[in-house]
Amino acid sequence: MQPEVERELIRKCKAGGPRFYEPIVRAYEGPGMRLAMGMMGNVEDAHDALQEAFVKAWQSLDRFDGGRPFGPWFFQILRNQCRDLLRSRQARFKLETVDERLEARPAGLASSPERDREKRAATEMLWKGLERIGAEHREILVLKELEGLRYSEIAEVLGIPDGTVASRLYHARRALRDALDELGVSYA
Amino acid sequence: MDYSNDDLMRYLDGEMQPGDRARFEGIVEASTELQRELALYRALKDNLQGISFAPALAGRSVWDRVNARLARPIGWVMLVIGATLWAIYGGYIYLQSAINAWEKLATSAVISGILILFATVAWERYRAWLVDPYKDVHR
Repeated sequence: MQPEVERELIRKCKAGGPRFYEPIVRAYEGPGMRLAMGMMGNVEDAHDALQEAFVKAWQSLDRFDGGRPFGPWFFQILRNQCRDLLRSRQARFKLETVDERLEARPAGLASSPERDREKRAATEMLWKGLERIGAEHREILVLKELEGLRYSEIAEVLGIPDGTVASRLYHARRALRDALDELGVSYA
Repeated sequence: MDYSNDDLMRYLDGEMQPGDRARFEGIVEASTELQRELALYRALKDNLQGISFAPALAGRSVWDRVNARLARPIGWVMLVIGATLWAIYGGYIYLQSAINAWEKLATSAVISGILILFATVAWERYRAWLVDPYKDVHR
C-alpha cells in the first residue's frame, strides 16, 4: 500500500468509520499472519492473535501518530498480543507444520516431486529448529527473514536500540544453527 | 582479524555502510574461515526466507471477524439507549394510566424482581468468568 494512501485511510479511520479500516487490515493481514505464525507456531492461535491485534490497533488508533508507517506500530501490538496469548494460555510455541498448511516456496521452474519433497522436509526441519529456540530468538528471526524488515524497523517493533539488533540476530541465528545441529541438519 | 559477529550480521543483511562494507569484504577475502561462516549463515537465511504461509492464509481473511468485533460495541450502545428510552417512556405511560395504585405496585414489584434476579445471575456469571482458567480454550 502506498504510504500516502495509508496515511489518508488512517486519517479517515480516526475520524470514524470502520470501513476505511478494511483495506488496512487486508494489506497487513498477510505480513501479520507470518509474524503470528512465527511466534505461535500454528494457524488457529495465529489467527486469534492477529484478530485481537487488529481490534486493539483500532481501539488505540487515537494514540497512533498518523505521520508514521502503520506496519511497525501494528507489529509491535501483534507481537505483544502473541506474547500475552502464549502467557495466558501457558502454552508454548506449538508446532503445526507437518501438514499442508506450510510449504516451501517453489525454487523456480525446475520443480519436481522429489525436489518438492526435499524442500518440504527441509522446511519441516527448519520449523522444528525454530520450535526449539526461545521466543525472543524466534521473533527477531521472523521479523528479519519472513517480514524482511530493516534493522531500524526491527528495533522499533521490539523496542530496543538500533545497535543491539545485529547482536540479537547473531544470537538467534547461532541458536537456530545449534538447534538444527542437534536435529542432525548440519550447516557447518 | 578486526571484525565482530555484529559486523558479520550487518554484512549478511546488507546493513553496512559502503566504507565498512569494502573493509569487511577485504577481511572476508583473506579468511577462508570467515568465508565458510558467511556461506553457512547465508544458506540459513535463504532457507528461512523460503518458508511460505500461502496455504494457511488462503481464503481466511480476518476482516469479517475484526469487523464484527468493531461493530459490536456500537450495537450494544444503540440497544442500551433504545431500551432505556422505551423503558422510561413505557414507565411514564404506565404511571399516567388509569390503573389503580395496587395494580401498579404489584406489576412494578414483579418487573423489579425479574430485573434483580437477572442482574444477580449476570453478575455471578461475570465473576465466574473472570477467574475461569479455561476461558481462552476454544472448543
